[in-house]
Amino acid sequence: MNSLGDYFHTDWAAMTPTDWFGTIVTVVIFLLLVGLFVYVFRPKNRERLEANKHIPLDDDETVISGDKNGG
Amino acid sequence: MDAAAEQKYDYGVVRWFTVMAVVYLVVGALVGVYIASELAWPFLNFDSPYLSFGRLRPLHTNAVIFAFGGCVLMATSFYSVQRTCATRLWSSKMAWFTFVGWNLIIVSAVITLPLGLTSAKEYAELEWPIDIAIAVVWLTYMFNFIMTIAQRKTSHIYVSNWFFLGMMVMITYLHVVNSLAIPVGMFKSYSIFSGVQDAMIQWWWGHNAVGFYLTAGFLGIMYYFVPKQAGRPVYSYRLSVIHFWGLMFGYVWLGAHHLQYTALPDWTGSLGAAISLAMIIPSWGGAVNGMMTLSGAWDKLRTDYVLRFLIMSLAFYAMSTFEGPVMSIKTVNALSHYTDWTIGHVHSGALGWVAMVAIGAIYHLMTRLFHTELWSIKLVNAHFWTATIGTVVYIVAMWVSGIMQGLMWRAYDEYGTLAYTFAESVEAMHPYYAMRAVGGGIFLLGAVLMLFNILMTVKKASSEGSLQRARTAAVATA
Repeated sequence: MNSLGDYFHTDWAAMTPTDWFGTIVTVVIFLLLVGLFVYVFRPKNRERLEANKHIPLDDDETVISGDKNGG
Repeated sequence: MDAAAEQKYDYGVVRWFTVMAVVYLVVGALVGVYIASELAWPFLNFDSPYLSFGRLRPLHTNAVIFAFGGCVLMATSFYSVQRTCATRLWSSKMAWFTFVGWNLIIVSAVITLPLGLTSAKEYAELEWPIDIAIAVVWLTYMFNFIMTIAQRKTSHIYVSNWFFLGMMVMITYLHVVNSLAIPVGMFKSYSIFSGVQDAMIQWWWGHNAVGFYLTAGFLGIMYYFVPKQAGRPVYSYRLSVIHFWGLMFGYVWLGAHHLQYTALPDWTGSLGAAISLAMIIPSWGGAVNGMMTLSGAWDKLRTDYVLRFLIMSLAFYAMSTFEGPVMSIKTVNALSHYTDWTIGHVHSGALGWVAMVAIGAIYHLMTRLFHTELWSIKLVNAHFWTATIGTVVYIVAMWVSGIMQGLMWRAYDEYGTLAYTFAESVEAMHPYYAMRAVGGGIFLLGAVLMLFNILMTVKKASSEGSLQRARTAAVATA
């Protein structure tokens, strides 16, 4: 293994249908995750996504401070 | 407010899952301490096959993972899905079926495993009739959860529910495939996989039981209970989205790192190790997200002992999700594999992360479910320190023992022969095995304190009539 070319050498002719299925699924998932990163960290989506973080605290429960459990 | 909660939500089955979780924590930890003691002082097996390490070890793992862990997951998910979706459980009867079915499975494990009835697949030892029962009960749990989300009164599905649902879907898939077997009798079956394929399926299940059951499910707990206990929203919702999808698509690759230097193709182990290292990114993102929820309010940790459990669990989560990928690298694996270092790693995750976040959530739940304060705050504090110290003593003992084992096994003398016999390495481990049993004993002591505190809290709620009052008022206003 003398070079990166050798390391990444692939015998495409020897690829079985299972190999192709796995390869395609892997690449598609990678692209979907890249798309997710772009979507989530796009500044214009920030407010809409972050608004959801208040859901657990907006359930009509009296806010009980931690003091009840130790103070 | 208590009456409104009792009227709006279905807490009955959640109460039972919560209390039973603590009972199973004590039972599972007790069996763990006993078998740890057997390794240090082998006479403790009393020459009885029913008490031998080989039979009790799967009882310990099944008790802590599926009995304690399962009850915690079902209690917290059934509770938080109602609160975050502003609706009752879709079917109370189905939830009770899940409770009774899950507990019957636990009882069947307690009977069959000491009798030596096992499929011999790690973390999936139960024989085929029980495997079918697990699939049925798990599906009712998942179906009820999905239908509760479907009838939600909120527009958005909060991230904790995504984690719970991801766990349910993946565990269904993993359990069914890993358990595929040909029965040859009522209590004996053989896996349909053989050779290295069987090993690969085994660790595809084994590591994903950690990844989805003990991580994704318990992250669902973290994303709901840390903000609730802290009284502050999670630090970054966007980070939680990345955490979820990164975890879902990343974890399934990792199993092969358990089979480095075996008959499995070399590239498979390398791929498992590479993705393991990549998983540090979402895992640490999630840990930081949980801890930074306290940003600007760190002083709460001085007085809120329940919050201490939750935050300490995240520290252990970060630590073990760094340690795991490092151990998966072939160079490190050559030293660590088959040694007690692996046991130490597992317990830093199991005791430090899984148990601590679960314990914090259970204490939080008790006050809401029984409409009263905890019986003793001092006992919660004592539990926190016994759990933390016990965990640290345990994992330090295993780190030292494991690294020493690995170094002794690979040591050669000047003539190229092994420097130590296997028996010498066993002898050298004895003090650390004793230390491990002491660490586990300290952790068990904390679990016993917790069970006592929980039972006294239930009794307190009963004598105060707080639960009865809330229920009566709920019926009156209905």
